[in-house]
Amino acid sequence: MPISEAHAGRTYPPTAPYPVSATKIAEFADAIGETDPAHRGPDAIAPPTFVVVVSHHAWEQMFDDPELGLALRRIVHGDQKFTFHRPVRAGDELAATVTIDKVRVRGSADIISASLEVTAGDEPVCTAAATFFHSRETAEASA
Amino acid sequence: MSVEPGDRLPTLTVRITRTDLVRYAGASGDFNPIHHSDFFADRVGLPGVIAHGMLTMATALRVVTDWAGGAAAVRSYTARFTKPVVVPDDGVGAELVVEATVTAVADGVATVGIEATCAGEKVLGMARAEVDLSAVAGGAA
Repeated sequence: MPISEAHAGRTYPPTAPYPVSATKIAEFADAIGETDPAHRGPDAIAPPTFVVVVSHHAWEQMFDDPELGLALRRIVHGDQKFTFHRPVRAGDELAATVTIDKVRVRGSADIISASLEVTAGDEPVCTAAATFFHSRETAEASA
Repeated sequence: MSVEPGDRLPTLTVRITRTDLVRYAGASGDFNPIHHSDFFADRVGLPGVIAHGMLTMATALRVVTDWAGGAAAVRSYTARFTKPVVVPDDGVGAELVVEATVTAVADGVATVGIEATCAGEKVLGMARAEVDLSAVAGGAA
């Protein structure tokens, strides 16, 4: 069964706690070309979009859900919204919970809206929402 | 210095190569093969390997964090990925140009509209960030 409108409302368990290290923050800052010293050292804070690291763990639960029939290579990110409640800091243990808010099927394309809550323990860190475009297998050119 | 609607932020020009995509894949955990494999990009009908939307978004936000004096002042950030940033494996890569303008200031929060273009085409739509001016470190406020 491919993904359908009926999957709206499906939520996945929080991801396993992800301990944020200063090293990972510096690696992420390097990868986006951000040289601010605030992202280096034992008291580093993360660049705002660092939350994608745990977001991917949550999104993968959805992308890998056998009931939805999705394939990562046929998914393109359509839009992204973040509300930041506080910066991510080295030493945080982050978890992310993803919920499918809405599914629209347009021919061989699935348009998936999913929201995400990122927390550190009981503390809200970031609320996010994304739209993904998924092309069904039939749309893939045969190799 | 005060922040007013219409204020323009310094423009940022960044070159993105395949190596940058590989580095971002590792740092972010997004290993979708359309961001490193010509084979898969072609198979799903893309014009070539494309940058992660989130790499474009993260890079564009540097205009705002540079101006605000740090990441801690950013309260929200939104963008649509309107056009893919194609990153050829030609030793040159793609050039991203990011411009930003303050569009509103209210209750100590500045809204910044962001324009990111690649080869003259807009790659982010409706991109904007909200910046808490009371949390701005030294620079803008």
